[in-house]
Amino acid sequence: MLEYDSAKRPPPAIDEFFQLIRYRDLIFLMVESILKNRYKRSVLGVFWMLLNPLLQTIVLSVAFGTMFRPSVPSYAVYLLAGLLAWNFITQTTQYAMSTMAYGGGLLKRIYIPRATYIVAAVGNGLINLIVSIGALFIIVIFLNHSITMAWLFLPVSIMILVVFSLGLALILSTASVFFTDTVDIYQVLIQALFFLTPIMYPPSIFPSELSQFLALNPFVILIEIFRAPIHANHLPDLDLVVKAVSLALITLVAGWVLFTSKADQLAYRL
Amino acid sequence: MPIAYNMENVAIQLNNVTVRFRIPHEKIPTLQEYAIRWLKGRSVSFTDFNALNNVSFSIKQGETVGIIGANGAGKSTLLKVISQVIRPTQGRVFLRGRIAPLLELGAGFDYEMTGRENIFLNGAVLGFSRKDIASRLDRIVEFSGINDFIDAPIRTYSSGMVARLGFAIATDIRPDVLIIDEILSIGDVDFQKKSAARILRYHNDGSTILLVSHNLDSVKNLCNRTIWLEHGSVKMVGYVDDVVAQYSVEMFS
Repeated sequence: MLEYDSAKRPPPAIDEFFQLIRYRDLIFLMVESILKNRYKRSVLGVFWMLLNPLLQTIVLSVAFGTMFRPSVPSYAVYLLAGLLAWNFITQTTQYAMSTMAYGGGLLKRIYIPRATYIVAAVGNGLINLIVSIGALFIIVIFLNHSITMAWLFLPVSIMILVVFSLGLALILSTASVFFTDTVDIYQVLIQALFFLTPIMYPPSIFPSELSQFLALNPFVILIEIFRAPIHANHLPDLDLVVKAVSLALITLVAGWVLFTSKADQLAYRL
Repeated sequence: MPIAYNMENVAIQLNNVTVRFRIPHEKIPTLQEYAIRWLKGRSVSFTDFNALNNVSFSIKQGETVGIIGANGAGKSTLLKVISQVIRPTQGRVFLRGRIAPLLELGAGFDYEMTGRENIFLNGAVLGFSRKDIASRLDRIVEFSGINDFIDAPIRTYSSGMVARLGFAIATDIRPDVLIIDEILSIGDVDFQKKSAARILRYHNDGSTILLVSHNLDSVKNLCNRTIWLEHGSVKMVGYVDDVVAQYSVEMFS
C-alpha cells in the first residue's frame, strides 16, 4: 500500500524526478491541453504553427533582406533557422515562468509534482519547434537551398536546446515565484539580447574588437549549433558542441537543484 | 498526548507537526524593491506565524474523525499538510494509502475541454495513468450521469454537473482516506443520495474519513472521535460527544 512519510523523504532533487515519472501522463495531457486551447477557436487551427514562422520569415527577410542578403547566401534560411532556435528558448522559458507565476494555483490545492508545469511548457515548445522545422523545410525546398547529411545532427541540437531551456525555465520560474517582476525583467533582457545575437544579421558585422563579447552571449553558441547544419550545410565545430553541451547540462543541473530545493516553499508563496 | 495505536492499523499519524508561515512586515514582491532595500542596507523583517503548532494525533484505519475549530484555527493547513500539498516545517506526517481530498473536486479541470478529456486530465492530477482511467471511463461517466454531454466542453456545464463529474472521478475507486467538508451537497437530491451511499459503502469497506465541518450536528452524527483545533494547536481530542460539548460551552457561552 502507498505510504507517505514526510520524515523519510529522499533528497528533493531525486524525489521530484521520480514523482515526475509517476505523473508522466499528466505532463502529456497538459501539453495536449495547451495545444488544443491555443488553436481551438481559430479557423486555421494547428496550421498557425506552420504559418507563423513562414510569415515571420517573409516579413523579416523583406525588411532586412536588402541589407544582409549580399553577405548571407540563402538569407531566409539563415534567418528562419536562427529564429526557430531563438523562439524555442525564449518562448518556452517565458511560458513556463508565467504559468508558474500566475497559474500555479493548482499547486496550492492538490499534490502534483512541482515541476509539472515547467516540463509541460518545454514539451509544448518542443512540439512547436518540430512543426516549425517543417516550415523551414518548405523554405529550404522553395529556395533550392541544398540539404545535406548534416541535417542528421538536428536531433542532437534540439536535445541541447531542450536541456538548456528546461534548466533556464526552472531557474526563472523559481525566481518569478519569489519576485514577480522577474517576468518583466526577463522580457526586457531578451529583447536586448535579440539584437545582440546574430539572428537577423551575420556575425561578421561585429567589429573584431567586439567579437570577444559575442562569445559571452550563451545564445550565440546555442543558435549556431542549430543553424550550422541547416544553413551552412556542415556540422558545427566540435569545440562549439562541447561548449553547448556543457552549458546545457550545467544550466539544467543548476536549475534542477535550485528549483527542487525551493519547491516546498512554492505552495506557501504562490 | 499518548499515541495509543500500534503502527500497523494507523491511517494518519502526526508527530509534533509545526507549519510555519513567514510573513514579511512589509510586502516586497519585486526584485527591484528588494534590491533598493538591500542597497540601502535595510534588512527585511519577518514575523513567524505557526499555522500549526506542535500537533500530534493518530487516526486508525476505518475511523471517522471530525475536525472542528473556529476560522483560522488551522483546519485547512492541517488538511494541506496531510494531503501533501505543503510539507511540515517540523515534525512528521505519516499517511498510509491513497487520499482523496473531496474539498478539491475537479482540481485541474480545463473548462475549454470536453468532459471526457477532463476525466483524463483530472485523473492524471489525482495520480492515475491514462490507461487506468481509460479502463474505468464508462463507469465514471455512468456515475456522473453526464452521458449526453460528455463530449461537450465543460464550460457549458452547470456547476452541479461539474461537481458531479469531479466526484465521480475522485471516488471511482475506493480511496483509503477521504477528506470531506460539511455534508456532501453535490448536485440534486438523487445525486446526493447516490454519493452519500458510495461514501458509506467505502467507509464500511475500511476507508478512513476526515470530516471538516462547522456543523456540530453532522459531526456528532457521523464521527466517532473529534479533534478540536485552536490557534494551530490541538485543544482537545476525544469522543465526539465530549469534545463537541466542551467546544459548545466555550463557543456559545
